[in-house]
Amino acid sequence: MATKKFGIVLDAKKCLNCKACTVACKFENTIHPGEDDYRIWVTELELKGTYPNISQEYQPSQCQHCENTPCASVCPTKATYKSPEGVVLIDYDKCILCKACMTACPYDARYENVHLHAIDKCTFCYQRQPEGREPACVETCPTRVRVFGDLNDPESEASKLLARNHTYQLKPERNTRPRLHYIK
Amino acid sequence: MKLSRRKFLAASGGAFAAAVAAANLTSLKAVAESGHGDAQTGEKGEKHIASSCEMCVNKCGFYAHVVNGRIKKLNPNPRFFKSRAMLCARGNAGAEEPYNPERLKTPLVRDGERGSNKWRKISYEEAFQIVAQKLAEAKTKYENRSSVAFFSSEGLQEGSFQMLAQTYGSLNTVRHPSLCLSSTIQGWSSVYGVYPDADLANAMFVVMPGANRAEALVTPDSMDFLRYRPKGQQLVVLDPRFTNTAAKADKWYPVKPATDMAFMLAMINVIINEELYNKDFVANMTEGFDELKAHVQQYTPEWAEKECEIPADEIKWCAREFAKYAPRSVIYPGRRTSWYVDDVAFRRACAIIPALCGCWDVPGGIVPKSGVPLKNPDIMYPFYDMVEERLDVESFGEFDNNLPDDARKEAGLPTDSVAYLGEKDGSWIRFREAVLRGEPYPVKMMMVYKQNFVEAAPNRAKTLKMMEMMDFICMIDIQMSDTAFYADLVIPESTYLERWDVVHSLAGIWPIATFRQACIEPVYQTKSMFEITGGIVDEMLKIPELWDDTDEEELEYFKEDFVEAILHAPIQDYIKYQVSGFENGYEKLLKDGVIYKTDQGVYGQSAKPGYRFKTRSGKIELTNVKYPDKGLDALPVYRRARQPKDGQFRFILGRHGWNTHTGTQNNEFLWEIQKENTLWINSKEALKLGIKNGDRVVVKSSVGEQTVKAEVTEKIRPDCVFYAHGFGRVSKGMSLVYQKGASQAAILEDYIEPISGNAAMHETFVTVSKA
Ligand code: SF4
Ligand code: SF4
Ligand code: SF4
Ligand code: SF4
Repeated sequence: MATKKFGIVLDAKKCLNCKACTVACKFENTIHPGEDDYRIWVTELELKGTYPNISQEYQPSQCQHCENTPCASVCPTKATYKSPEGVVLIDYDKCILCKACMTACPYDARYENVHLHAIDKCTFCYQRQPEGREPACVETCPTRVRVFGDLNDPESEASKLLARNHTYQLKPERNTRPRLHYIK
Repeated sequence: MKLSRRKFLAASGGAFAAAVAAANLTSLKAVAESGHGDAQTGEKGEKHIASSCEMCVNKCGFYAHVVNGRIKKLNPNPRFFKSRAMLCARGNAGAEEPYNPERLKTPLVRDGERGSNKWRKISYEEAFQIVAQKLAEAKTKYENRSSVAFFSSEGLQEGSFQMLAQTYGSLNTVRHPSLCLSSTIQGWSSVYGVYPDADLANAMFVVMPGANRAEALVTPDSMDFLRYRPKGQQLVVLDPRFTNTAAKADKWYPVKPATDMAFMLAMINVIINEELYNKDFVANMTEGFDELKAHVQQYTPEWAEKECEIPADEIKWCAREFAKYAPRSVIYPGRRTSWYVDDVAFRRACAIIPALCGCWDVPGGIVPKSGVPLKNPDIMYPFYDMVEERLDVESFGEFDNNLPDDARKEAGLPTDSVAYLGEKDGSWIRFREAVLRGEPYPVKMMMVYKQNFVEAAPNRAKTLKMMEMMDFICMIDIQMSDTAFYADLVIPESTYLERWDVVHSLAGIWPIATFRQACIEPVYQTKSMFEITGGIVDEMLKIPELWDDTDEEELEYFKEDFVEAILHAPIQDYIKYQVSGFENGYEKLLKDGVIYKTDQGVYGQSAKPGYRFKTRSGKIELTNVKYPDKGLDALPVYRRARQPKDGQFRFILGRHGWNTHTGTQNNEFLWEIQKENTLWINSKEALKLGIKNGDRVVVKSSVGEQTVKAEVTEKIRPDCVFYAHGFGRVSKGMSLVYQKGASQAAILEDYIEPISGNAAMHETFVTVSKA
């Protein structure tokens, strides 16, 4: 069996900016309310045009689970590591809170989890994997902006979407090779 | 061994995967120990309980993930096809409700002036005794059971509250529709006999006047219009504000407020004059085409352009596209339509368009709602001598409706009554006015179930005055709402995660029935409305004066068939009876959280031979047959609305997807998304007034003023301003939003749409100046 490669394909045009995904993540991953404590966000892109010819788009995002992983390369204790499926995870015991990864991450995906005394970020809800459940943000979305799956399996919905559509990644110039693919 | 979250994630690299595979699921799930709040329970272990959401009207199904007796998370129920198996931000944040530090925990009786926030804790038993005693006093003093008004909000326990109202015998029940959707129900029913749905999952051409489905979530419409949008579907949105729905539209028309009817009438004009309508459908199914045809000749697209500021060519394009894609074309009926005083006429115009093109009861069209058949016990309440007719109805002829001074006041609208007042719902605005006048009889006591009218009803000053006139006010709620804050007795209800609720059929194209079972034990020994009604009725039965104006025999039957058989029995028995027509219905409910006949869309019910529409003629009425009996226009007549003068703005309402009305702002997980509201003002207008983004401004109407931060934006017409509902609160028991931002109720003038009795909340003009 080929190894799995988890990723998410997003159709941001469907995003309502409803915040269901951000709230779901907080409960699933026990993140307390607080300004800086989040693993997932929805950016309101700049409004284009002037009244009445205007357009507005949203960009939901989270850790890109980069294949070239700057946050891991800079980590002095190897607290940041990759699962066999390429999910970028953190060993909270090894984290010494040096915050080098926070600086290295081009996506501002990391935050300090003061309750765990470690740097934290999206884990693709790795705790759900044994039961084969979708990540919380994927499952709860009213319009199904995100499709999660094994990008090595051509039959997965995510792979099919990727094959069928033109997609882009965020900040390609950083050469991080993100596992989040946005449909154009 | 219970793995700690830290230890679990500490396993590294390949060993991690092995650990995951080997570990049993229970311990894995335990890694995500619930964290917020600190209520202790004796329970150990994990479970997933099917129930349904109460953070808004949609009642989406979920499985509550319960860890050691605490709600850890609510996950969407994959079988809940009506919501397309989602949970919105509020639905997720609901997991916090039982643990919200400011939730009501014990009954409170006022221990100071009203609104002084001084309370004394009492037991439920004492609370029930007080209510029964006060009900008895009101009956003895006023010799009219209708002197006690029963206000309630929609929900699965509203029926339990209505049981209390009916046991007492007051006819004054005041429900939420006349602050919300009664005008769209009336308008569409006047054409089709029912208030139908629009099939957004299959429609090819959608005109959405004002409805904001991207932010005011309605299942399944809010999901379907993006998630299952058919290839090539076109969405046209009319709204003075660039909502998220407008942002998703193919065309956004920033329509001039109060002129939307001109757009619809001109569409009708084009469809008829260009003969784009469905001739067979019109001939076989409808009534009054010729009258309609003659009537709309005056409403040309060129005329409409001058009224609504949407170019004539665009109107023509809409009419032609609509007809081209028919029957897969819809004008969206909408829900909260308490906009203008002539809203019913506007909704009639909307409803006529799909009827002309035969977009009825087929996929992609306008479709009558279907339900899931449930059994409900017939309860016989005693008849009492001391009961007067509804106050709002008795008030007809006593005083004039509050209508703005313009052409609409001159004809077509009842001036001192409500043409089709909902018998159980009432008309909120007319009701309050009659209470304030004390005529034709006094209403002196209020029982309120979760209706937060202090912030929900326009003209807060008047509402507070009405409350001042009361001998006694009892509020039942889960939080110290603004209305609870001014009450004399506050009785906490259990949150929806802690109680059992009866089964409810959610009617629509995809009908499904759901219920609630307790996911956790009540955190603070609170009770459900069903139990509260039971407790109050038991105390009432101990007071003989409450029963001396009814037949003794009837009373005995009532005690046996209702009090003993229903109120004293577990609510589960009631639920079992409701689903007794289904094989293993109750077991299915417990396991799946839902019950249904089919998970496919239901179409064509009205195509069956011999079907009679619930209109007077039995057909779809393009020209209404019964309206003229009441002096109402048989056809929608456009009469020009007044518009704001120089220096004035029209205040328009709305909300965002993360809050419901006034109920959810004090939940920390939602509050952190939006901490206060802001006044949307068009950037050019702001410049004229010297207002910069973030400036504090005073918004002033004829009934009140509020101070709020300005949000200078391109997203609104220059003649309108807007801020979201649910902020600027007066209750100190909702400390996150107490006096944060601005209140709508404080500045809204209280006009009425007098055909359905709905409030008209988009008729208020304000000035804006720097604070
Ligand atoms: S849940 Fe979906 S629609 Fe809502 S904000 Fe997140 S991505 Fe957007
Ligand atoms: S997005 Fe940031 S945190 Fe996530 S893998 Fe890439 S560099 Fe690391
Ligand atoms: S995958 Fe899980 S951890 Fe990551 S953002 Fe979504 S919900 Fe949060
Ligand atoms: S739409 Fe959201 S708040 Fe309303 S019932 Fe569904 S999940 Fe709950």
